[in-house]
Amino acid sequence: MLEAQGLSFSIAGFSLLREIDLRVEPGKVTAIIGPNGAGKTSLLRLLTGEQRPTVGNIALSGQPLGGWSPTLLARVMAVLPQSSRLDFPFTAREVVMMGRIPHATGLVRDTAIVDAALAAVDGSYLDKRFYTHMSGGEKQRVQLARVLAQIWEPVADHARVLILDEPTSSFDLAHQQLTITNMRSFAAQGVGVLVVIHDLNMAARCADQLLVLSCGRIAACGSPQQVLTATTIKQVFNVDVSIGINPLTGTPLVIA
Amino acid sequence: MHRLPPRAFMVVALVLLVLAVLLGLLVGPVQIAPVKLLTLWSADQDMDGRVLELIRLPRVLLAALVGACLASCGAVMQGLFRNPLADPSLIGVSSGASVGASCVIFFGGFGFLGSGLGLPAIAIGAFLGGMAATAVVYRLATSVTGTSVSTMLLAGIAITALAGAVTSLFSFFADNEMLRRISLWQMGNLDSANWHRVMVIAAVVIPLVLVLPREGRALNAMLLGESEARHLGIGVEQLKRRLIVLTALGVGVAVAVSGVVAFVGLIVPHLVRLLIGPDHRYLIPGSALLGAVLLLLADTGARTLMSPAELPTGVITALLGAPFFVALLLRQRRDLVS
Repeated sequence: MLEAQGLSFSIAGFSLLREIDLRVEPGKVTAIIGPNGAGKTSLLRLLTGEQRPTVGNIALSGQPLGGWSPTLLARVMAVLPQSSRLDFPFTAREVVMMGRIPHATGLVRDTAIVDAALAAVDGSYLDKRFYTHMSGGEKQRVQLARVLAQIWEPVADHARVLILDEPTSSFDLAHQQLTITNMRSFAAQGVGVLVVIHDLNMAARCADQLLVLSCGRIAACGSPQQVLTATTIKQVFNVDVSIGINPLTGTPLVIA
Repeated sequence: MHRLPPRAFMVVALVLLVLAVLLGLLVGPVQIAPVKLLTLWSADQDMDGRVLELIRLPRVLLAALVGACLASCGAVMQGLFRNPLADPSLIGVSSGASVGASCVIFFGGFGFLGSGLGLPAIAIGAFLGGMAATAVVYRLATSVTGTSVSTMLLAGIAITALAGAVTSLFSFFADNEMLRRISLWQMGNLDSANWHRVMVIAAVVIPLVLVLPREGRALNAMLLGESEARHLGIGVEQLKRRLIVLTALGVGVAVAVSGVVAFVGLIVPHLVRLLIGPDHRYLIPGSALLGAVLLLLADTGARTLMSPAELPTGVITALLGAPFFVALLLRQRRDLVS
């Protein structure tokens, strides 16, 4: 379990995050929503150990994040940044194979995992294609396959964590659905999934727990039903909406 | 784009290297019969045998080592800067070395370093100049949060410009003889090869070429981005420091013994990447092999084209390299359009 307590973060006197408490539970999908500039990506940077909080502490499986060896941490925590630039003509397979760099599982096992990860994002046909020749959505799928391959199987009973920053921003409808399926199936294996997402209805459908960030603070936290109310959305996004129920999934449906 | 299997490429490049070495040994102002190769290191040598042993062989080895060094360092720099157009001189080594070399040529003439030191003093000056420039560039780009590769690029450009100005200043105040030596040095030349120099550069280049490919996987991850590499468990800051020190050392030594040999570090990795793909585990050794072949051929050309006069090797590499590079760029653009 990834747990953060009392996180505050400021850069050059600017306070970006204040008093954040957060638990990414194994087997659950936690989604962070909030307006632009609310501090979502900053929060992910702290949680992945890329930056240190000004105040507060973060622990993975009870051990402070800073106490993990980089390789061991990479074996159990995979992070998909918002956008990745790669200007070199690697094939999709080579990019996904990079997800196996922290592991020492051998080429045969790694190849099987890469095949499975590519298939999971509907990217098997991209296998030998060059990354530099792909469309935006295809690139994003290959990167997603790379982070899935990184934590494809458990390592010595350590809890695994999958962190995705807007994974569906350039996906079509089918691949958005597929990404939800992937997040749910990783969660079903006991992986703690944390995702930043802009589409409130997608967040409602994929998440067990929603965290609303506004101006660097937690504005609301709880199940989608608890959080996605007209009042909260008015308060945070300053938009009038009405809330219905998604007839297919039974989750809240935000109608703007 | 169709790729060759890396192993097949390595075999072909090795064969080419052997052929290029033989060509370099036998062709020159004096053509030497292949049978004379058997008299290397033997007591009963004739004139041809002595030319082979004392002139041709060190020169051929020097060309191969410098080529291997520049090309593999170029491959590393392009990976580190995540830019297929990066060149080892970006971190200021070459321009710093120019300042060092011209400083020695200039003040050496005034007797500061003693005329007895002569050529080796230029090499030492070049090496120190290159290291100093890289150190400045590295310091400028490093803060508490780590080394910023993009700041390094800009600092490299600034230091290169500054060093160019200082070199120009030396040239301006130099007399004709010094001026000629400075400009010849800057053209890049292997004509001062001897066994001593071969030993010096071999002691640096051979370990370097063996060590760099070990960083291949980490460099591949760096191409994804620094934070992506960090999330894959790579110690990014240590890796950058290690690679900058190693390439600065490699290029510094190469420049010190041969002057500024243009384009090898830029073109060879680019070409190898087109042939076998961007995976650094193969790209670095492949570049080393092909770099050795190309510089050997260029140097053989430099020795024979205007024989008995000799052209500066760096002029040949630039003359052939620039159009070749443009052809590569055009080809790439065509691939993208079609």
